[in-house]
Amino acid sequence: MDDLYLDNIDEFVNDQNKIVTYKWLSLTLGVHVNLAKQMLYHYLDQKRKEGSARLHATYLVSGKFVENGTTSHKVSVVREDQLEDAKSKMSLTVSVHVYSVQKAVLKDSGPLYSADYDAVKENLRNCSRYSAIRCADAVPRSSAEVLQACETTQAPPPETEQIKANHSNLASKPTSKQPKGIMGMFANKNVSKNQDSSKEIKLEQKDDAPVVETSKTKPAAKTNPVSNFFGKQAAKKPDKSIKEEVEIARTSSSVVEKPSSPPPKAETPVKEELAKDAVVEKDIRSKTKRLEHSDSEEEKSESRRMKRRRIKKPEPDSSDDEVIPDSPPRLQEKRDPSPIPEIQVKKEPVAVSHSDELSDCKRRKRRRVLKSCTFVDDEGCIVTEKGYESESYSETEDDFKVSKPTPKNPNPPKPSTGKKEEEKKKKAAAASNKSTKQASITGFFQKK
Amino acid sequence: MTTLTRQDLNFGQVVADILCEFLEVAIHLILYVREVYPSGIFQKRKKYNVPVQMSCHPELNQYIHDTLHCVKPLIEKNDAEKVVVVIMDKEHHPVERFVFEISQPPLLSIRHPRPTPIRIPSDTLLSHVEQLLRAVILKISVCDAVLENNPPGCTFTVLVHTREAATRNMEKVQVIKDFPWIVADEQEVHMQEPRLIPLKTMTSDIVKMQLYVEERAQKAS
Repeated sequence: MDDLYLDNIDEFVNDQNKIVTYKWLSLTLGVHVNLAKQMLYHYLDQKRKEGSARLHATYLVSGKFVENGTTSHKVSVVREDQLEDAKSKMSLTVSVHVYSVQKAVLKDSGPLYSADYDAVKENLRNCSRYSAIRCADAVPRSSAEVLQACETTQAPPPETEQIKANHSNLASKPTSKQPKGIMGMFANKNVSKNQDSSKEIKLEQKDDAPVVETSKTKPAAKTNPVSNFFGKQAAKKPDKSIKEEVEIARTSSSVVEKPSSPPPKAETPVKEELAKDAVVEKDIRSKTKRLEHSDSEEEKSESRRMKRRRIKKPEPDSSDDEVIPDSPPRLQEKRDPSPIPEIQVKKEPVAVSHSDELSDCKRRKRRRVLKSCTFVDDEGCIVTEKGYESESYSETEDDFKVSKPTPKNPNPPKPSTGKKEEEKKKKAAAASNKSTKQASITGFFQKK
Repeated sequence: MTTLTRQDLNFGQVVADILCEFLEVAIHLILYVREVYPSGIFQKRKKYNVPVQMSCHPELNQYIHDTLHCVKPLIEKNDAEKVVVVIMDKEHHPVERFVFEISQPPLLSIRHPRPTPIRIPSDTLLSHVEQLLRAVILKISVCDAVLENNPPGCTFTVLVHTREAATRNMEKVQVIKDFPWIVADEQEVHMQEPRLIPLKTMTSDIVKMQLYVEERAQKAS
């Protein structure tokens, strides 16, 4: 093979400061992955011999790994300095090859994923074109098959789910729903469309939660159009999907509005139905100041829910792992005039990630969730601990990740003094920020 | 925050939301990559469908959040010209300045007496913007290839360069209580012997952003 590829790689790595992974290289140059791996190896070899640039590489090591008596096949991506260590730990090393070449020292593996993201996305249909792994049976499903699969496994409404299932780009999904959501809300054409849009809007609420609302007065002014929407919804046959979800966005959105916001004027009987469920809500830990449930909690939660509808965030993803309540279906459910038998007590917040596979099974189960909680210990230091906690959840909820630690600091003065003591002990030199609000970072750390 | 009524849907607010979220992620990532704080306080989170590092420390998060909350109205009105994350050494001399130059196409500015006509960003546009922001984040992750290491004991601060006299309004109206903004000192704004290292430029229909780093030639004090 000619040596032009060496110049290409050189340009990518040195001039453009890219992370060149073998996968990206194979897709870019249109070569088989094994060839791409060899190219990277030759390039690295040549540059090291020349001794010119300071390059760093990561390697993919795979092999048999024995741990606690169980043998497993372990595949890991390691930095160059950890390569020998990783190889020695394996009982049998099956393959070692260059994973990526870059100029920068990578502190964590995040950028490796981002480096390939766009290239893989573009080639999603034929991403295995240059791959060495083959399976004749692995063929992407047609849309009809996906549709069928959704309909058989899920209870109605299937519309939202199948739209989501067909989209490959997760990030664009919520965004794409929003324009329809806004229009659908006010167009008010038919039941399903409204239900859809309300669900979509609701699913977006999760994103709003961490951001503090500036336009606090606006929601109050907008109650009327929204209440009209509710009124119209009441007339329609509610959707009986019994998805349970945790009302986290409700309390998160409590940041936004103060309890003093007045309930909507046009209180239809529907709203009382909606409010019924609020009574059984438990106080949920959230990042922000929590509204205490008072006597008017029905109205409050009502207005909160109303306002939550209106808050819209165009961003598809929130970096905070917030709970994503399946509130639209829930809302539908509550509109059923007959008393709702299965109002389940909502438990601690469950952080839901943005994966949009909604399986529609209606059982509640308990599972262990990795959660982190922040608290102040005896010495007055803020400690964040991650632990598994048993959580009640419904299979209708999305998969979720670790929830954001609750950064509530119950005793603000205490930690500052605690931290000062810690400062003397610790050698860490991280100084405090110039702002008066920020205390020293060293107090944050326990002896790990 | 964007509200949903037909009358008020404001493109400027949408852009400001997107940018502020992005800046929050970018600031956390800069703190991680430049080792301003120990890496132990950071945890991996997802944004724009890629892993990013965000801090767990509640006060740090609150500080960054409040900072950007105050910046948001400026971006909405297209008053913010640059948002700068300055990393300073122990003597409070800047060693690095990450400059985000932001500009919005004038059509979308809300200086008009009435809000601009509704232009709901299409999903392709937003997904394109997301792709561009992802690229900027990736560039920040690898920026230590082109930058030298910082001395230990660095701190950071966020400066905003505004157009015209927008800050006068900011001083009058405290957006967040007990979080005042002050005019920056000369020594924070200007750096001795800066070296300019461009990192990434992004151009889209709704916003243009340029990220570059000014680095002091000699960092060790």
